[in-house]
Amino acid sequence: MSMFGKKTMAITGSTILSLSLLAGCGSNDNEENASPGASSGSATNASSPASESSAPKEKVEISFWTTYSDQDAGPITALVDQFNQTNDHITVKMLGNQDPTKQLTAISGGAAPDILLTYWNNIGPWADAGAVLDLTDKISQSGFDIGSVVPAAMDRMKINDKYYAMPFTMSMANSLMYNKKDFADAGLTKPPETLEEMFDYAKKLTKKDDSGNITQIGFIPDYPWIDNVFWPVVFGGSWLDDSGKVTPNAEANVKSIEYQRSFYEEFGQNQIDKFKSGMGKRGTPQDPLLTGQLAMYIGWEYNFMPERGEDGPIGVAAFPYPADRPELKGSGMVSPRAVFIPQKAKHADEAWEFMQYLMTTDAQVKYSLEAHVIPTITAALSDERLMVEENKTMWEFYERAKSENLNGFPNSAYINEYLQALTEETEKALKGTISAQEAMDNVAKKIQPLADGK
Amino acid sequence: MAKVSGNAVGIRKRERKLLVKGLLFTSPWIIGFLIFQLYPILASFYYSLTEYNLFKPPEWVGFGNYKDLFQDDKFYKSMYNTLYITIVGVVPHMAYALLMALLLNAKVKGQSIYRTIYFLPTLVPAVAGSLLWMWLLNSQYGLINMGLEAIGIMGPNWLVDPDWTKPSLILMGFWGTGTITVMYLAALQDVPKMFYEAAEIDGASKWRQFWTITFPSISPMTLFQLIMMLISSFQYFTEGMVFAEASQSVGGPENSLLFYSIYLYQQAFSFLNMGYASAMAWILFVVVMLFSLVIFKTSARWVYYGGDK
Repeated sequence: MSMFGKKTMAITGSTILSLSLLAGCGSNDNEENASPGASSGSATNASSPASESSAPKEKVEISFWTTYSDQDAGPITALVDQFNQTNDHITVKMLGNQDPTKQLTAISGGAAPDILLTYWNNIGPWADAGAVLDLTDKISQSGFDIGSVVPAAMDRMKINDKYYAMPFTMSMANSLMYNKKDFADAGLTKPPETLEEMFDYAKKLTKKDDSGNITQIGFIPDYPWIDNVFWPVVFGGSWLDDSGKVTPNAEANVKSIEYQRSFYEEFGQNQIDKFKSGMGKRGTPQDPLLTGQLAMYIGWEYNFMPERGEDGPIGVAAFPYPADRPELKGSGMVSPRAVFIPQKAKHADEAWEFMQYLMTTDAQVKYSLEAHVIPTITAALSDERLMVEENKTMWEFYERAKSENLNGFPNSAYINEYLQALTEETEKALKGTISAQEAMDNVAKKIQPLADGK
Repeated sequence: MAKVSGNAVGIRKRERKLLVKGLLFTSPWIIGFLIFQLYPILASFYYSLTEYNLFKPPEWVGFGNYKDLFQDDKFYKSMYNTLYITIVGVVPHMAYALLMALLLNAKVKGQSIYRTIYFLPTLVPAVAGSLLWMWLLNSQYGLINMGLEAIGIMGPNWLVDPDWTKPSLILMGFWGTGTITVMYLAALQDVPKMFYEAAEIDGASKWRQFWTITFPSISPMTLFQLIMMLISSFQYFTEGMVFAEASQSVGGPENSLLFYSIYLYQQAFSFLNMGYASAMAWILFVVVMLFSLVIFKTSARWVYYGGDK
């Protein structure tokens, strides 16, 4: 009997022990500043907040999360390595493959990384929820010059008139890419200048077989996706006015959808859909622009890096503008990658220092050269170091990135709902189920309460 | 024998000791259940009555989320899509699996090879299988439309036409019925042979034998499968998500692939409406519960257990 008693005791004891462990884990989640041991990978050399001011000599390790997969992480790793070599009091530890869902989990829990790179449209909802550090104070204290950043990229970091992140790089759509051979076969010698001209080109570049099936198409406005930012920008549209009213149904926005719809009216909904589903995958050797199935598409700086060279099969030009609004020439959208510091970051000051480093002209140039992306610091766009032969296909994109007509979608708490509603309603309008005006009125009706509420 | 009361106390004491020991031995599960299941379940109900974005403290809104849900077009759309895939998909998939089980139960040379071959697709991960089927369903170069064309039928635009996206998924579902088939096969082999022998002596046809012997005998398995498939069908997510990706939008063409759990995920992780998403989860729970209840209630009429009668 006493043996049983002992065993029972032992079991009870271990149960209580394990329970207390569990309880310990649970409470850490709720504490804003969990002990360094509880956080993964960060703060192994962390000094306590009290000793930070008195003894800054000790190296602080900060954790930096990115979305890059291993195969794309080369350039950012090089940049981080350089920082680690030159900086005497901060070590940056980088972790890739952290998609937004993982990031969200981390910054809402107790073990937030110190700085993260993410897609810019996450900043709005996360900042509004209180998860992102407002950079206003840091910017003014350090004297960081907002004006040095490409405005269209910096504006994407602004939520309720405050900056919450820095645009580390940006993607940009304000080019037209075309298949040179298709153009030559159709007897076209230069790219279209205006949108109206582009529509005529598309007709000339579209071929059908005897039974009416499309075998080659000039242009598909919603390929590869329904772009509810690019098109309104090209037409000079907007989404929000100064009084807080959402304006998806502004005249220019509606026009931009009607223009896209005209392609479906011209070539036939079913025909386009069927042809589209048989097109090769974008970005592969079967890319429809490369095979010539599709003669023109909206070009981003990352499309056809080698093929768009002088002797390559792909031509690049500025995207056309509406003939009646020549002032919109050079319009296009930017989509930055943002770096931000979570509200719960343990080393916000060090993270800010690293962020500033990422935004220096030197770092921007180095990164752009290796990753072939567009820098977001205006000075870097003209930097001599980028004008090397191996980077030649990027040159005209740097030039176009200086356009004052670049724009983007306003960032906000409800940005993802807004974009989703735009996609859903634009889709209906493109199919002709409802008119473009009706579709955009629907969006306004749906989103205005969110804009008022958040 | 004489000290009855004392003995009873002893028993009670021993029982209590046994109970304590039993509880201790099951404590890993009990603790796990309390912390990782019961607590989140209850918490989600609390959150469903609040507005909660993960960061700010939950804000009490009572049944506001539920009220909003019933006025949300996309809630109905996603519920419709999910019911569609459940009602149109589950019964044909089960019937097909049963048919295949019957075929695989026949005494044919090399049967184990057929069984293996038939089961293999089940081992393909959902995402990989979906990507493969997207090629088969390609309206221009896909094998399925090529086959249809060969017999003079103009195949639909499977992945793009909103009327055909869900049938595409159901079609693909037939491919992955290997697990159900194997379980049916096990049930079929459990049916006592003497029943068939007796029926044959009485001159019953194969068809008659199936409906009066086989089908009732395996009905407990049918009930089990039905409930399991119903539940997994209400949680339909991965394949819909992959198919929708082809059209570069979360819900697929005209939201025809916006299944309930996909919409729930979107509300939670894209819009940060955790309260709303929790309310959706609870409604899903109630719906699944109701469906299961109805099936259980009616099962008395069509499910036979060997131990009965």
